[in-house]
Amino acid sequence: MELSDANLQTLTEYLKKTLDPDPAIRRPAEKFLESVEGSQNYPLLLLTLLEKSQENVIKVCASVTFKNYIKRNWRIVEDEPNKICESDRIAIKANIVPLMLSSPEQIQKQLSDAISIIGREDFPQKWPDLLTEMVNRFQSGDFHVINGVLRTAHSLFKRYRHEFKSNELWTEIKLVLDAFALPLTNLFKATIELCSTHANDASALKVLFSSLILIAKLFYSLNFQDLPEFFEDNMETWMTNFHSLLTLDNKLLQTDDEEEAGLLELLKSQICDNAALYAQKYDEEFQPYLPRFVTAIWNLLVTTGQEVKYDLLVSNAIQFLASVCERPHYKHLFEDQNTLTSICEKVIVPNMEFRAADEEAFEDNSEEYIRRDLEGSDIDTRRRAACDLVRGLCKFFEGPVTGIFSGYVNSMLQEYAKNPSVNWKHKDAAIYLVTSLASKAQTQKHGITQANELVNLTEFFVNHIQPDLKSATVNEFPVLKADGIKYIMIFRNQVPKEQLLVSIPLLISHLQAESIVVHTYAAHALERLFTMRGTNNATLITAAEMAPFVEVLLTNLFKALTLPGSSENEYIMKAIMRSFSLLQESIIPYIPSVITQLTQKLLAVSKNPSKPHFNHYMFESICLSIRITCKANPEAVGSFEEALFLVFTEILQNDVQEFIPYVFQVMSLLLEMHKNEIPSSYMALFPHLLQPVLWERTGNIPPLVRLLQAYLERGASTIASAAADKIPGLLGVFQKLIASKANDHQGFYLLNSIIEHMPPESVDQYRKQIFILLFQRLQNSKTTKFIKSFLVFINLYCIRYGALALQEIFDSIQPKMFGMVLEKIIIPEIQKVSGQVEKKICAVGITKILTECPPMMDTEYTKLWIPLLQALIGLFELPEDDTIPDEEHFIDIEDTPGYQTAFSQLAFAGKKEHDPVGQMVNNPRIHLAQSLHKLSTACPGRVLSMLSTSLNAEALQYLQGYLQAASVSLL
Amino acid sequence: LRRQRVEVSVELRKAKKDEQILKRRNISIHVKEEKPSLGRDRAEEVIVQLSLEQILKAVNGEDTQLQLLATQATRKLLSRHKDPPINQIIELGIIPRMVEFLGRADNVPLQFEAAWALTNIASGTSEHTRAVVEGGAIPAFISLLSSPHLHISEQSVWALGNIAGDGPLYRDALISRDVIPPLLALVSPATPVGFLRNIAWTLSNLCRNKNPCPPLHAVQKILPVLIILLKHEDKDIVSDSCWAVSYLTDGSNDRIQIVVETGILGRLVELMDSPDLNVMTPALRAVGNVVTGTDQQTQEAIDAGLLAVLPRLLKHLKPVIQKEAAWTLSNVAAGPPQQIQQIITCGLLPPLVELLDKGDFKAQKEAVWVVANFTTGGTVDQVVELVRSGVLKPLLNLLLAKDSKTILIILDTISNLFLAAEKLGETEKLCLLVEELDGLEKIEDLQNHENDMVYRAALNIIEKYFSGEENTDLEPQTGQDGLYDFSVEKQDFNF
Repeated sequence: MELSDANLQTLTEYLKKTLDPDPAIRRPAEKFLESVEGSQNYPLLLLTLLEKSQENVIKVCASVTFKNYIKRNWRIVEDEPNKICESDRIAIKANIVPLMLSSPEQIQKQLSDAISIIGREDFPQKWPDLLTEMVNRFQSGDFHVINGVLRTAHSLFKRYRHEFKSNELWTEIKLVLDAFALPLTNLFKATIELCSTHANDASALKVLFSSLILIAKLFYSLNFQDLPEFFEDNMETWMTNFHSLLTLDNKLLQTDDEEEAGLLELLKSQICDNAALYAQKYDEEFQPYLPRFVTAIWNLLVTTGQEVKYDLLVSNAIQFLASVCERPHYKHLFEDQNTLTSICEKVIVPNMEFRAADEEAFEDNSEEYIRRDLEGSDIDTRRRAACDLVRGLCKFFEGPVTGIFSGYVNSMLQEYAKNPSVNWKHKDAAIYLVTSLASKAQTQKHGITQANELVNLTEFFVNHIQPDLKSATVNEFPVLKADGIKYIMIFRNQVPKEQLLVSIPLLISHLQAESIVVHTYAAHALERLFTMRGTNNATLITAAEMAPFVEVLLTNLFKALTLPGSSENEYIMKAIMRSFSLLQESIIPYIPSVITQLTQKLLAVSKNPSKPHFNHYMFESICLSIRITCKANPEAVGSFEEALFLVFTEILQNDVQEFIPYVFQVMSLLLEMHKNEIPSSYMALFPHLLQPVLWERTGNIPPLVRLLQAYLERGASTIASAAADKIPGLLGVFQKLIASKANDHQGFYLLNSIIEHMPPESVDQYRKQIFILLFQRLQNSKTTKFIKSFLVFINLYCIRYGALALQEIFDSIQPKMFGMVLEKIIIPEIQKVSGQVEKKICAVGITKILTECPPMMDTEYTKLWIPLLQALIGLFELPEDDTIPDEEHFIDIEDTPGYQTAFSQLAFAGKKEHDPVGQMVNNPRIHLAQSLHKLSTACPGRVLSMLSTSLNAEALQYLQGYLQAASVSLL
Repeated sequence: LRRQRVEVSVELRKAKKDEQILKRRNISIHVKEEKPSLGRDRAEEVIVQLSLEQILKAVNGEDTQLQLLATQATRKLLSRHKDPPINQIIELGIIPRMVEFLGRADNVPLQFEAAWALTNIASGTSEHTRAVVEGGAIPAFISLLSSPHLHISEQSVWALGNIAGDGPLYRDALISRDVIPPLLALVSPATPVGFLRNIAWTLSNLCRNKNPCPPLHAVQKILPVLIILLKHEDKDIVSDSCWAVSYLTDGSNDRIQIVVETGILGRLVELMDSPDLNVMTPALRAVGNVVTGTDQQTQEAIDAGLLAVLPRLLKHLKPVIQKEAAWTLSNVAAGPPQQIQQIITCGLLPPLVELLDKGDFKAQKEAVWVVANFTTGGTVDQVVELVRSGVLKPLLNLLLAKDSKTILIILDTISNLFLAAEKLGETEKLCLLVEELDGLEKIEDLQNHENDMVYRAALNIIEKYFSGEENTDLEPQTGQDGLYDFSVEKQDFNF
């Protein structure tokens, strides 16, 4: 393409078309541009247009197109065509800086980006004069130009903040420092001087402050990797100026906007970052300056207003103080009583005040308010920062700080008492102060776990918290009510139990409060109290103690779900679940009404599931209703099926993906409640459960496997007789699962159930295939998890079909296969098996191989007999692994891993552990002894001679113990 | 892996303040105090007035009295506190003449003044030192080592120290002119302490610098004397001797071996515990260098009691000491499991965790390496012990560090921890723990990190431990009935 007017014209046309909203016009134009972008001069044409076009839109469009073109093509990738010819590259580099600097801001930004992309590839080697070219512009005195240079420098250098230290990188930084550090420092000084000469010129100040922000950012990048010699030598200049900028104020720079941070705030925030960088990484060198920054930053805090636009600055600044005051060698900066008092008075207390913005959130955006206040997503709020500062100060000055604040708390409470309806905010601040002062460590699960001993929490509770909650009007001073409830919640482990019991009815009545925050907090507090543990790990608050409140509790909880704004309130639903779990059979009389309300809710939310936590607890509550009721009366399962199946069918038919895993879990629970043959309603569903589309969603896999297992347990013979044609599909599911490292254990669950429950003849023709599949996975991508499951499976198979059958099927797949599996897998890996039942299955299976498999005695496999026995004894003598507790009440929902968002296991749909060998073998050690005895009777002398020649002494000793315990001996 | 001292040859920082000084100017006036004579004082006052031209003339003239006065004036100029005019003196071209004066055994004061002046010129930049060497000063100074006058041989030792300190080139030039035997001959029980200090310092410069290291035969000659000096009661002598040993151990394993074989490790470890920072610093560096060597060499340092001293150093007030101690520990942790076991037994985990939590950033970075090496080479039990000591919380907190490399190493360490957890079947438990300590949140955040390797390491952990993956070759096809087809092709198996 020549640099001709005609080509410029053509390009203009096409650029214009790329802006057309109609894709029929836009797309072909984009295609065309792409097709010509490999031509020589194309980028130069774009540069010409963005400089000289008559139309502004074309200028902007050309600049964006140019930047994207550079982004796609500048990097030269090996083995791929170089799309920009060398002469164009040279021309671009020669012209782009002046062009960028003379362009209006909108275009300047695009070109600046383009420069940094080019710089990333070519700078410094292939673009040696870039730095000098930029630095020379510092002298221009034109801050439009200077800011362009600074912006470009910033985009070139900001990678120093994340790249690894390397010779190459540091060589580049050194080069940059040599060329750039001094001019930047001079520019910094000059700019500051200009700021004072132009102190009355608002528009000049704006430009100058934009420069200062960029300079401060460049400082951050250039100082990130290590402290450069130049900056260490010039620390005085930089830090002195940064320090005075922190203290600077100018009316002309103040903005009217209450929300958006202005230039002054942005600059000060960046300076705080710079100081924090030095304090974190170059503490030793920065130490002389740090005290000044501490003072300046707290003065800044004292003088900064309450507007939202200062929030980030204020919280950054407080966090800076909080991190410094914890360090032993800066302790002295804070220890003076006057200093402490003024920090408490002027920094902490004002930032704890309940502001208009908080009040607004409390009323109109309660979800956000709760998230910040309760769940700790308040990281950059002022209150949180102030709280962290209190904690930091308490590390060394707990006594004095507590003393100072006690005074404040008292005077604020007095103010409140004078005129509650006007001064309620004082009490709010007092409660917040006590809370932040008293809490030293906190977890979601336990509330405060470590408290300041100097604060009498119970006394404060009785004198100042309970009276508010006892007041008859639940809707009065909602903020104070919320504060009080939160106080109970977080100090539940510090306040004595009798006080908690007094609070329970108060909390129940606040479930009726109109304020969303108040009734949510009440529900949440109840839920937390119900999970507290007393002695013996029993719940602290017992069902008996709750007996008088059952009806009102359930009524108020379900009523709260009808209050405006709370129809899908997860805290309330969680409290419902927790109440069921605590109250157990005392809820049975209310079940008919409860299950109706829950089903209605389920139907309503299934139209558009939007609150995953709410939904989860709702299903948990349904499960609990079923379990508790059916435990007392197994026949009741039918009425639950009646109530639920209609909704379930709708959910399955409408493919409500979020709910399907839950439905399968509830169905499993229901099916397992049946004592007899599987009902036909379930069988009708069976083929649908094997549909691949269901298995493609990972969230469905665990509950579907669980459900199929329930089908196999209750209906294996029905499947074999009435749905034999579905067996390949069932095994196909197994194959699908076994192919996945994440899901293979699920595949084994299914396979184990098939082997255990299906009539042998119904799966006979597939058995060899099953093993081939497993061997293939073992060969190609074995994992510890896979091996563990594999070992359990083959031993289960051995128990079910006999050791000889196992040996025969292995060896029919490949000669000597059985020996190879014994030697390479079973013997070396058996110790990895964990879980009591799993170990028992393996023990019984191996015992069978040892004693009921003739080839082990009279073929070349005989040499593996002793090693296998040795491995078995090892398995016995390993320390027992964790057992799974039966008391499911204590499974805390938070204990289930939260990252598996796709699948949410319902704790209360939990499956009881199943022991397939439970009936057959009680003690596997004795079983081994007896089996060996039997074997030795069949071939006298052989067993004993093998043992005495090759079994190691320790194992032999154990074995003798088993024989003694079984009262048998070997012949 | 054991990490040598230097990773990057480019430095952004100022030359280290904690390093030993390379060249020194003699600005003291102790000679005057030794021989207070009125005439001398007066003479100096007069001579101070001499212009450079007058100096040039006098030095090149034949009047020995004037030569002495001019040389003295030169020395005086070069000894003044601020801005000695080294360049101007060199430009006068009088260095060869000064070197000539060194040979004037008949005129001891002139010899001495010339030696002093040349010492101070050699104390400047490389350029300055070169001017002295090219003036032929090396052989002259070496022969002056044997001067019967103590203050002249002492000044020569000093001058030679400055020349050796310039770098490997001049260092080896001195060695090949056999500077070592006469230098070592000066060490005797009768040598004054001040003189011994100069000797120790010059010896350290003869051991100093790499690319190349000093020749082996020289090292072997110097070492026995260093061992003696290390036992001296003067801490400056001990300090410089320690520095010398630290240079000798800063190299390949066979260099380390030579030092280890002298049996000096016990003394060095003892000196690591010295209350004097100038002794502790080089002793720590020397032993730190030793443990970059083989497992056996590291074991010798451990047997000498290294691990008993380290806990105190890890808690030292000086950040450089914390850092150096942590670096040393990181190289022990890079050893075999039995050495890692000794780290545990010697109670190093608590101070390590504390350092990781509260130490200076430079030291925290090294502490991260300790943990990384520990988890790479340690047994599962040892890793469990490490986690039990509370390492996880401060380690995860450092994912917020302003240093990409540190973040990457922590991510690698987390992967190591997961490997150990897998072996114990406790992956799930570790997942929960990481999540509880806000680690998961931070790792997830790092998936947005600008650094590609950090981003990929974070992604890898998330994918591996916080989600699943598939084996597509075993995936079933869908059959005609719309269900999965159960089928597989047999292959040959060999586990």
